[in-house]
Amino acid sequence: MTRRVLLSAFEREGDVLAATEACRKAGLKIVDVFTPYAVHGLDHAAGLAPSRLPWVCFALGLAGAAFKVWFEFWTSASSWPINVGGKPWNSLPAFVPVTFEVMVLFAGVSTVIAFLFVARLFPGRRAAVIDPAVTDDRFVLVVEQTDAAFDVAAVGRMLAGFGAVAIEERVEGGRR
Amino acid sequence: MIAVDHAFHPPKRLLNRIGAIALAAAAVVTAGVVLAPDRTWPAVLTIGLFLTGMGLAGVFFVALQYATGSGWSIVVRRVGEALAALLGTGAVVMVVALFAAPRLYCWWGGAVAGEPLRGFKAAWLSPAFFVVRAIVYFALWLAFAAAIVRESRLQDADADPAHSRRNVRLSIAFIAVFAFTVWLASSDWIMSLDPDWSSTIFGVYNFAGLFSGGLAALVVFVVWLRRLGPRGVGPLHAVVTQEHLHDLGKLLFAFSTFWMYIWFSQYMLIWYANIPEEASYFAVRLHGLWQPLVILDVVLNWVVPFLALLPRAAKRNPGVLAKVALAVLVGRWLDLYLMVTPHFQPGAPVFGVWELAAAVLAASVAVLAVLRTLTRAPMVPIGDPLLAESLRHHQ
Repeated sequence: MTRRVLLSAFEREGDVLAATEACRKAGLKIVDVFTPYAVHGLDHAAGLAPSRLPWVCFALGLAGAAFKVWFEFWTSASSWPINVGGKPWNSLPAFVPVTFEVMVLFAGVSTVIAFLFVARLFPGRRAAVIDPAVTDDRFVLVVEQTDAAFDVAAVGRMLAGFGAVAIEERVEGGRR
Repeated sequence: MIAVDHAFHPPKRLLNRIGAIALAAAAVVTAGVVLAPDRTWPAVLTIGLFLTGMGLAGVFFVALQYATGSGWSIVVRRVGEALAALLGTGAVVMVVALFAAPRLYCWWGGAVAGEPLRGFKAAWLSPAFFVVRAIVYFALWLAFAAAIVRESRLQDADADPAHSRRNVRLSIAFIAVFAFTVWLASSDWIMSLDPDWSSTIFGVYNFAGLFSGGLAALVVFVVWLRRLGPRGVGPLHAVVTQEHLHDLGKLLFAFSTFWMYIWFSQYMLIWYANIPEEASYFAVRLHGLWQPLVILDVVLNWVVPFLALLPRAAKRNPGVLAKVALAVLVGRWLDLYLMVTPHFQPGAPVFGVWELAAAVLAASVAVLAVLRTLTRAPMVPIGDPLLAESLRHHQ
């Protein structure tokens, strides 16, 4: 599937923020905004939904803790009971430090893996840089031309009004 | 830059009402000293530790911001400085409690249960040295607090960055002094209640509770000061935004979890070794009616803030944040109550009007002292070079 997009490049952080905000308010479909560094407030301006990664972190942390409590119970009280200092075999306080560490390990590692998976950052993947300038000093806003009603000239004028230094139409083919 | 209301006038009626509550509570506590000294004095010691800890947490919060060069927190710094005023209130209560020291500290006469103290303990736990140490701790804390607050207020007039630089040096020195003195003071004033018991992590445990409780107080006052004014528009309205609340919420979340970490570290080592001179502490507290209170302590200080503040939206919601912080404040008092009281009532807790009056006295005096201190200087440090950065703060 192909789609037509409109690229606009900006030279200042404030300009791209204002332009993004205006595009969202005008009901345009914002594909992405590429910046050389993290710009505060951009997620809000682009109307991004809150990340769902914390739920992965929470669920996997909980799962890791539950797994570890079960595993410690199984190893020290069920499969091969060992008497340590006369404590009961199933001694929960002794399990807590390891449970805590494994919870952190599961939560941390799984969040990173989930992020790489969602962002499709697999090993060997080639970088698709929309414009080399975004790795240097420019901010590029990408808006999709959703249908025939999309007036390229009007949108271009609006973006130029926010200080866009370059506007370009592009057809994106297939998977990206 | 947005306009900032420089003069803060807390409603007179509110101050009068809180003052009346404080006077009534003080009268009940005074009656308690005569009628039920065995119950009132531990309660007075508990609130003395509570107020002193709040004051120290205020100075430590301010010092931490200077030492780390933090910009975001400038708009809430005056509230931290106002909390530091509780150091003086705490000092007064501790001096009063000192008069009951022979009743509170069983080693005061030089012997415990007929056995004379020996060696280092005899030297360290002598009344004269104990009093001298307490004076040294308070002198150091009050001097650092006064110096840091003074530089901060002088900067309001001349906006000279030299004040910030001086406060950075003072703050770093304070943090070093604070680490040693809090450890020693918590051993002196709390651990020595049972001179046969010792825990090497006790100082850290007290620091964790002190700062977690102090952050809770900071959050409560900041949220309140956003609304405390005509038509619900307080002096910090629109100055302290969701972004600042979010960061305060993160700090409260982190230090509440740190408290739990240290609480468990102390518990687990004592449980593992299970030797009588260490286990006595938890043997008393985990039996009978003390046990549900210990569980409540953990719930208020950690379970509630951890679960409630886990979502991002909760940390940015002033109502949720303030309610959680209030729970932690009650938890902070309960934590100190559980350190002090079981030594005097080993069987079961006796909680009544004397303990309640002392707690009400501490809360009302703390609110009065903080609000009064806030009227003495602009609500935000208007001369601080980092103020603009703080006003624009964004996550």
